[in-house]
Amino acid sequence: MMRAIATDDLRKTYPVVERPWWKPGKPLRAAPAVDGLSLRIPAGQVTGLLGLNGAGKTTTIRMLATLLRPTSGRATVDDLDLVKDAREVRRRINMIAGGERMVYTRLTGRENLWYFGQLYDVPKAQLKARIAELLALVGLEHAADQRVERYSKGMRQRLSIARGLINRPAYLLLDEPTLGLDAPIARDLRAVVADLARDGVGVLLTSHYLAEVEQLCADIYVIAAGRLVAQGTPAELTTMAERQHTVEVSLAAAVDDVDHAVETLAMRTGAQITTGVDDDLRPRYTLRHSADLAGELATTIVTAGGAIARLEVTPPTLEDAIIALADAARQPSAVAS
Amino acid sequence: MVTAWATLKRNWLVTRRAYPWSYFIGTLGPGIFTVVVALLSYRAIGGGRVSAWFGASSGTSDYLGYVTVGAAALMFTTRMVLWVAKAQITEQREGTLESQMLTPAMRLPYLLGVAAQAFITSILELCCLLGTALLLGVRLPVPDPVSFAAAILAAFVAVFGLSIPISAIMISAGEAHITQNTLFCVVGLLCGFTFPAALLPAPLTFLGELLPATAAMRVLRAATLHAAPIQQVTGDLLICLALGCLYAAVGLLVLPHAERRAITRGASA
Repeated sequence: MMRAIATDDLRKTYPVVERPWWKPGKPLRAAPAVDGLSLRIPAGQVTGLLGLNGAGKTTTIRMLATLLRPTSGRATVDDLDLVKDAREVRRRINMIAGGERMVYTRLTGRENLWYFGQLYDVPKAQLKARIAELLALVGLEHAADQRVERYSKGMRQRLSIARGLINRPAYLLLDEPTLGLDAPIARDLRAVVADLARDGVGVLLTSHYLAEVEQLCADIYVIAAGRLVAQGTPAELTTMAERQHTVEVSLAAAVDDVDHAVETLAMRTGAQITTGVDDDLRPRYTLRHSADLAGELATTIVTAGGAIARLEVTPPTLEDAIIALADAARQPSAVAS
Repeated sequence: MVTAWATLKRNWLVTRRAYPWSYFIGTLGPGIFTVVVALLSYRAIGGGRVSAWFGASSGTSDYLGYVTVGAAALMFTTRMVLWVAKAQITEQREGTLESQMLTPAMRLPYLLGVAAQAFITSILELCCLLGTALLLGVRLPVPDPVSFAAAILAAFVAVFGLSIPISAIMISAGEAHITQNTLFCVVGLLCGFTFPAALLPAPLTFLGELLPATAAMRVLRAATLHAAPIQQVTGDLLICLALGCLYAAVGLLVLPHAERRAITRGASA
């Protein structure tokens, strides 16, 4: 048995009203939200699913959570078919979405977890201990017997996280789980997710906080318009998009020879160069190149008799890469890698 | 049955904390109004007597009893539909439909849990209506306990069955008010709650017979107004149970599709 969530050529289309029904022609058009997606989310690892808004991330997660049926293609959880074996799949998965909903506001935190524990058939003997464990995990012991309507947004989200773990899922689908959470709580959640993965849980994560994705994900899928455009580790994706390093140098004082030396370096390497002054009115050079030219630039300046007051290198980020990959996918000639 | 019990307990807690007074008044008001108007017309216009055609078509000359039982049954139907049929759309509005659908719990026990809590609450509310009717001078005979219990069961199955496809329609359409009010108009007109269904044109009588509430109404009246023994109501009881189960089966068949449609609408919006 393959311990993973796997999708093969998964598609989901939504009907879109093209024209009023009384006008000639087809009134509905099938708009693809997910278009032939093949993914593998193994157990014991956090896998990222990234893309710009409308890329199809939430639709993919909802299909994997059995909330939506694929239009075509196949998806399995530990070899169980997502459609045919939906009930068994639901025992093995859970989903946590950003925002504070998904819990009953007129029940207390403890009552919410008790109710969902019952729906998941958590054995009575274990449920009480499980609830206490989860309330401690998300830091809600003090508010366990308070009605959720009196909770803050962050508290509701933390309860929602506890709800998502009540059935000890083998796979956890996280759709923007830290949305609206304070930084310390988001950090704690990231630690929980990392621990879960270490304990063998397969996690699929979508997030707009790319630092979170870089920190947690071993493997990332990038999708645009429902199609896979790239896959790899955060480092691989960052280089895949061929974004440029930016080196910015400010001199202590202007030196004529430095001007000439830096321009020569730029011409030789093919780097883009911008000259100007910084906020303290010191001469400033900015070089952009796919390679990091910081060392070479510093040597050139010092050799030419200049004194460096400030040097800053901005490497290409995952965010740049995602935007670049998504932009590239929008071009007609784009090919999925 | 774990799901049914848990849902009953959940709804009980929620209702105790936020009892929907507006629904209660909205359904008790028309019930009392119906009894009061019937009482006034019976005394002031009818002079305390009913015409022969009413007796022939309803099978009783106890007009006030007839109307009170009908008003109580209509209130029971309305309240049960408001709880059971609206359960899923309420989950959707509160944002808990997805967390509900993520669980392996089946829909039937979930809805039975909702219905059980609705039944207990509705019976308590019915006591308010019947108490008011008694204060107004309406007198009902002591029913046969077995057929009365069977009639209550029949009414429960009928309204529960009817509520499930209505729930699917509500969640699929994404609205509740038009659907519920249309249903209330249809059952109020066709099922013989406040006047004998036999007075309706034949096609409407036929349509009324397709609704399980019509047979349930006959069983309830036979049990409460005529103290009929169980043998006398067996036919209507079976019709009512069969139709209730049929509606429930159809509803349970279409409900998952309706739920996915609701999720799809949310996803594509």
